[in-house]
Amino acid sequence: MGKAQPIGKGVKIGFLAPSLLYLMAMGIFPLVWSLSLSFHRWKAATASSPIFVGLKNFYTIFFADPRFWNSFRFTVIYVFIVVVSELSLGLLLAYILNEKIRFRNFFRVVFLFPMAAPPIGIAFMWRMLLNPDAGIVGKIMGSMGINFVRWLTDAKLTPFVLMVVDIWEWTPFMFLGLLAAFQTLPVELYDAAQVDGASRFQAFRFITFPLLLPIIVTLVLLRAIDAFKLFELVFGITGGGPGTSTESLSYYTYTVGFQYFDLGYACSLSWVFLGIVLFVSQFLLRRLRKEV
Amino acid sequence: MKRKSISGFFVFAWIFLALFTLWTLFPFFWGAITAIKSPGEQYSTAFLPYLQFKPSSYAWQVVLGQAEGERTKQGLRNSILVSSVSSLLVLFMGALGGYSLARFRFSRWKNRDIAVWILSNRMFPPIAVAIPFFLIMRTLRLLDTLPAIIMAHIVYNLPLAVWLMIDFFRELPEEVEEAALIDGCSTVQAFWRISLPLALPGIVAVYILCFVFSWNEFLFVVTLSYRKTMTMPVIIAGALTVRGLDFWKVSALSLLAITPPVILAALTSRYLIRGLTLGAVKE
Repeated sequence: MGKAQPIGKGVKIGFLAPSLLYLMAMGIFPLVWSLSLSFHRWKAATASSPIFVGLKNFYTIFFADPRFWNSFRFTVIYVFIVVVSELSLGLLLAYILNEKIRFRNFFRVVFLFPMAAPPIGIAFMWRMLLNPDAGIVGKIMGSMGINFVRWLTDAKLTPFVLMVVDIWEWTPFMFLGLLAAFQTLPVELYDAAQVDGASRFQAFRFITFPLLLPIIVTLVLLRAIDAFKLFELVFGITGGGPGTSTESLSYYTYTVGFQYFDLGYACSLSWVFLGIVLFVSQFLLRRLRKEV
Repeated sequence: MKRKSISGFFVFAWIFLALFTLWTLFPFFWGAITAIKSPGEQYSTAFLPYLQFKPSSYAWQVVLGQAEGERTKQGLRNSILVSSVSSLLVLFMGALGGYSLARFRFSRWKNRDIAVWILSNRMFPPIAVAIPFFLIMRTLRLLDTLPAIIMAHIVYNLPLAVWLMIDFFRELPEEVEEAALIDGCSTVQAFWRISLPLALPGIVAVYILCFVFSWNEFLFVVTLSYRKTMTMPVIIAGALTVRGLDFWKVSALSLLAITPPVILAALTSRYLIRGLTLGAVKE
């Protein structure tokens, strides 16, 4: 915290006001509008004005909309699997690169590529690679004797295809975050552990891991919240299909809002979604707050 | 004994790293190869230009030439305009807000609470804001205009910018500013002449981060634009025709959309992770 300075109230507020006012006007106000719409029925394609229906939309979501529950289940399973995989792979990579590996900076930059590229570009690139008729992945597998290209047509497999692409895209996030954290650890600890005869695994399990735990929790929360908003990969690779097997919450809300133009219901859906995300965010914000 | 176990670890480490690098780079490599194949060869597995296939500029002639060049160039122009302008406005507001939260003390609410409230705006799922945004822009008759997209991208990036700028300003030595204030500078002058130049590396990093996020953003653009204001990500999505996917075209368009943010991110690699982790990890 800065020392108290004799600064006019007007100046202080003048500095902060643009950001606050902007976020109020373009962040909070739209959400309030959306909340009020969520109590209305408004199929913009046919009806011209919203009709107040109270809590009916929310009742439908929770008790009469299997498609919502389907997308909810898909999203939760998706988040769980990708976060766990990305964390494990990321930990392994960070652990390896924390040793005195040459070209460390080269790897650091290479692994940025998937994260920095536009997700929709990545989605279409992968859609091309995975194309069942002509994609290179199918051809490589075929040349190894595996004729197995149902991954985009079999509803049991498509969710995993999306997860693999997500893992490709975001493992570097875990890895680079953990690598940076690894490098803040004091070297003396390892020397002491080695003198005491600890094995590599023991040193990791009892020294490195506990020290890294706070940052791991933060990274997991960040990644989970972000993965929960999954949209571009679904849009670009599967379009939610086959059937509704890969419909994420974002994608379902988008479909209801911008394909069916059922705006009232889409607003209720987005508020349910928002509620879940804000609930999880609280844990993250609380952790980040400590560091302010 | 010990030496042996260490070298065993290194062999494993290098094999694992090599495989992971291959896995990470292969899609980019394949995209680049496909973009220089002729449509007749787009489905072949040849991957060595000149040796296995003759490179062709067909994809680029279509994407940038007579047929669709206007559309692509417009997409690039829109992307550059939206990203640079929205990031500039974000930077202006973010630097002021970040500075005030780093240096001043607010009385009614704690600085920390204001900062966390601002950051919580970043957590909203974009789709939740996209529907009311669409309605607002429709009311204001701003659908399919660049200001609408720029306004949306500012909401998206501003919380992050404020949050990161707080950190950057706090890392500056306070004494320099105090000296300036004693010498008769006003608060605004001290900010403008002393703190801002000192925080320049951080400011540039925040600008580039916001530029990359705005460039990559898809959902707001796809809901707010129809024809004139599509940015590169939406142009890619439009490459999907009824006939299916033209590999050469998707590759060429994707490369155009992917290259700028990747280069920018590589240039500021130290800050990318800091930005993506909301400052939780500092290198």
